[in-house]
Parts: sequence; C-alpha cells; structure tokens
Amino acid sequence: MSTVTRTKKKKKEVEYNKLPWKKEIRHNGTLYILFIPVAVYFILFNYLPMFGIVMAFQDFKVSKGFLHSAWVGLENFRVLFRGTTFGLVMRNTVAMALLNLTFGFICPILLALILSEVKMPRFRRIASVVSYIPFFIAAVVVATLAQEFLAREGAITSILSWLGLPKQNWLANSNIPVFWIINMCIGIWTGAGYGSKVYVASISTVSGDIHEAAAIDGAGRLRRMISITLPCITPMIVMMFTLRIGMVFVTGFDKILLLYIPITYDTADVLTTYTYRMAFGATANYGLSAASGLFQSVVGTVLLLVSNWLSKKVTNSSLF
Amino acid sequence: MSNVPEKKKPETENRSGMHKSKRKEGMVENPTILGMTADVLIIVFLVVVMFCSIIPLWHVLMASLSDGKSLLANKGLLWLPAGNATLEGYRLTFLDSSILKGYMNTIIYVVGSTVFGMVICTLGGYVLSRDFRLRKQFTLMITFTLLFGGGLIPSYMVNRAIGLVNTRWSLILPGATGAYFVVMMMNAFRTVPESLVEASRIDGAGHVRTMLQVMLPQCKGISAVVILNSIVVQWNSWLPASIYVPNKRELWPLQLWIRQLTADNASLLQSANPDYNRFLIQYVVIIVSTLPIILAMPFFQKYLEEGAIAGGVKG
Repeated sequence: MSTVTRTKKKKKEVEYNKLPWKKEIRHNGTLYILFIPVAVYFILFNYLPMFGIVMAFQDFKVSKGFLHSAWVGLENFRVLFRGTTFGLVMRNTVAMALLNLTFGFICPILLALILSEVKMPRFRRIASVVSYIPFFIAAVVVATLAQEFLAREGAITSILSWLGLPKQNWLANSNIPVFWIINMCIGIWTGAGYGSKVYVASISTVSGDIHEAAAIDGAGRLRRMISITLPCITPMIVMMFTLRIGMVFVTGFDKILLLYIPITYDTADVLTTYTYRMAFGATANYGLSAASGLFQSVVGTVLLLVSNWLSKKVTNSSLF
Repeated sequence: MSNVPEKKKPETENRSGMHKSKRKEGMVENPTILGMTADVLIIVFLVVVMFCSIIPLWHVLMASLSDGKSLLANKGLLWLPAGNATLEGYRLTFLDSSILKGYMNTIIYVVGSTVFGMVICTLGGYVLSRDFRLRKQFTLMITFTLLFGGGLIPSYMVNRAIGLVNTRWSLILPGATGAYFVVMMMNAFRTVPESLVEASRIDGAGHVRTMLQVMLPQCKGISAVVILNSIVVQWNSWLPASIYVPNKRELWPLQLWIRQLTADNASLLQSANPDYNRFLIQYVVIIVSTLPIILAMPFFQKYLEEGAIAGGVKG
C-alpha cells in the first residue's frame, strides 16, 4: 500500500511541475488565492520599504514624497561618512558588538555548564527557571530599573562605592568603557538564562556512558567538563555564534535608545540609534537617516551571509 | 508485537541503572575536599544568579506597596515596603483612566497582531508546504526578507503613505509576523504525513478545510511557539508605538506609559513640592505590566524553550 501511494505521489510531483497554466490553476487555484494575503503582507511591509531605500539618494522631503524629492546621488553618504559623528558611532557599534560576542556569548554557556553540574535536579530546575525570568521583563522596565539602580543613590552605585569607585550617576558617565560595560551587563542579565536553554538541552543529550568511562579512567569533574561536555556541545556553540554574528547590530538597540542621554551620546550612540535619531529626533534629516539605515542593512546582510557560510562550513547546518 | 515492550523494559531499567551508577560514581569519587568545595561553590554561585535575577522585581514590588513619602526618602534596595505598607499606589493607579486605557490598548495590540500574524503564518506555511508550480518562487519571496530589509525610515514612510500612522493598525499589522515564523510553520506543515493529507482530499476536503481541520491540529506545538512568541514580544513592545503614535496618548500601550511616567518622575523630583504618589504609580504600573507575563511563564515556558531550541537547530 505505502509503496503504491509513494509512487503515485512522485508521479504527481512531476506532473504538477509540468502542468500547463490552465490545468495548474484548476488544480491549485485555491493555493494561489490563499497566498494572496501573505503576498500582500510581505509586499506592503517588506518589499515596498526596500524600494523606499531610494530615499538614501534623495534630498527627501515628506511633502514631496519618494517620487518628487530631488535626487542628490551619493551626497547623503558623503555627509554621513565625512561627519565626525560617524567615526564615533562606528567605534561604539563595534566595541559593543565585540563585548556582546565575547562576554555576552560566553555567559550563557558557562551558566549551562554550571547548571549541568548541579546534582539536585529540583534545585537545578528552579535555578534555570529563575534565571530565565529577566528575559520576560520589557525593555522599558529594564531601562527604568537600570536608571534607578545606577543613579547616584542607587543600589548598584552603593555596592560599587564599597569597592572604592566614586559615587555618581553611572548612566551620565561619558568616560569610555562605562556605558559599554553597562550595556553588556544588561544584555547578560536579560539574556543569559534564556541563552543557556539551548546549551542545557544540548548537554543533556551527551551520553552518560562516556562520562562513566572517563570517570573510571580517573578523569575528574572539571576534566570531564572540558574534555567531554564541551566538545560535545561545540557544534551548537559554533552555530549559535554564527547566528549571533548575523544579528549583532540589531540586538539590544532599543535598550540603548532608552538609556542614552545627550551627555553620553559620544560613547553610547550606535548605528541603529543614530539612524533613529536622524529620523525622529529634533534635527531630523530623512535622507541621512535612510543612508545610514541602508549602510547598516548592507553590513548586516553581509555579516549574515558570511556567518551563514561559516555555519555551513563548520557545522553543516545553516539558516538559508 | 509483544517483543517491543519487553525489549524496551530492560533497556530503560538499564538506563536508570546507569544513571544511578553515574551519580554514585560521582559521589564515590567526590569525598575529596576539592569536590565538595566545588559543589558548594556551584550552589552559592547559582543562588547569587537567582538573587540577581529576581531582586530588581522584588524591589519594585516592595516599592509599589510603599508609602509615597518614605519611598522618596529611601535610598538603595528595598527589602520590605518603605514606611507602612499600603495599597494606596494600586488604588491611585486604577483610578487613573489613561493607564487603564493603556492596559486595554496593550491587550488589543497583543490579540490583534497575534491573531493576524497567526493567519498569515498558517496561510503562508500551508501554501509553501504544498507542491505547485510557483512554490520555489514564492518561497524565495518570503525567505529573501530574512536577508535584507528596507530599514526603519523607509518602512515608516511606506506606512505613512498607506495611512497607518497614528492609527491602531500601525501597531497591529506591520510587526505581526515575519519570514522566520512563516518558514517555521512551513517546516511544521511539511512534517505532516502526506497520507493524511491525501486521505482528507479523497474524502472531499478542499485546501482550506485540509489546512484548518487536518494539518493545523497536527502542528499544535509549533503553532504554540509562534503564538507565544508573538504575545511576549507584543506585550513588551514600545518602539513601534513611540514611532507610529507618538502624540496620540489614547492609543499608547502600557509600555509607553511606563516610559512617560519614568521621565515625568525624573523631572518631578526637581520641583519643590513633589506629589509623592506619582512615584508609587510608576512602580505599580511596572508590576501590573510585568507580573502577568511572569506568572504565565511556567505554563508556556515549555513552548518558548522549544522555540529557542527549534530556532537554533533548524537546518
């Protein structure tokens, strides 16, 4: 029976791909109709904005629209790349991205490794659920909490002052690594528990036999963690890393937007916030904003393609 | 037939035995001081992690139950409500019609975009999982958007041109779903056995009926992942609202109100005679906006985990 249906199906596939349009419509017309809303949705909200990129090459005026604004060629890009802000913005973007890709990336793995070493299953479960909570807290709330705890009289400030650091409003500190570190810590606080889930699941698939064998051979716990668990989850680590590279510009952007203030623009401004401010800030310049948005999109796409290619090479699995 | 369970039983026994032996092994191996300190250190570390994860929320909860004047005088972390515990903040909040309206708006946006997004995902996923002449082209059309997007400003201009700005629709439609979720549904639909689909077609069910009554129930897990993701994201979202309805306060979701209250309170502190109760409201709103999602978490955590893992493993 099953073989019969299978051959039938195969036959059908071949048939469908060759069907003339008239027959295709009669057979699968409903499918095309069902796809209309999906197509409209993606055209409206994904493809039309892509054509909106022409703004980056215009002196865009809202009153004139896409069609009647004056063309200025690469003028917007010239202004963007020549401006003094752009250098700072790129520096901040790269610095925060690197911090996120290193410390922000390692923390979930460490947490997962530590969780898997806990011998009491109930405690492990509770710890993993509780560490997961910050992921559900809205960006606005996280920002509010950060503002309160890092203020002059805030809880974190007073802990830091025990360690000998001067009392101050840390979010108003424009010295170089301060905002970067705050941003990184917030990222870890919200994301480590959630990020560790994947690794915990991956670790749980490691066979107990290997551990047992190693233990008999005299390998201690740390040794087994480094020589067994870690190699077993390496493919997962590589894949998550490549995924992360592809999204590194986008993640955490709205928190920066909520936390930075004019005093810290020099150290906190990243590409996405710059694009946002150029569009919706007091000194709106739509053309410039679209140009920096396009630059960011292109870099993001290149990163995604590279990381996807890497992932395919290293782990044989990829997003596309 | 009877062989299978018989065969399985010893295996499972064996396995649990192995686990035990592994555990025992660990215990036998570990009476060393080093091993025990490691255990203690691990537990201490995790307790610290848990503490850091929930203490900020605890602080807010206590602040929301505080007396406004003592709250303002208080410095640092709150372990217990400042001053006499009172529900005054909650009373004031629920008297504030704009915040109640914000709550309503958030619910409208969450429900609206989740339902709409699910419709798009189901339709798209179903059609792309079928075999027809333009399947490859349609799939490319969807997946290309994963790779490249127009960006913030062009999207804004398009939404403005089609008249969404300053309406509820701007917060329901554009962010309702994305290629990622359509592809996820497509993969789920593809796992439904073809024989089942064929049987329903033979029984006379059309595409719509096959999709809704035969295939969708087979993909409950992934559907739940898509829906819950949408709920969490929409519930916590504020950026689209700040872009699309910045001046229409009656359309603001709760998150935007929290931002506004925080900003207001910062400037309120400068004034000579601040209204202490305004501070309470900020904390109460955080609690009423955050608690529902945290309390619901244990129920849908399983699916979100599945989603995180599916997102990672998807080949």
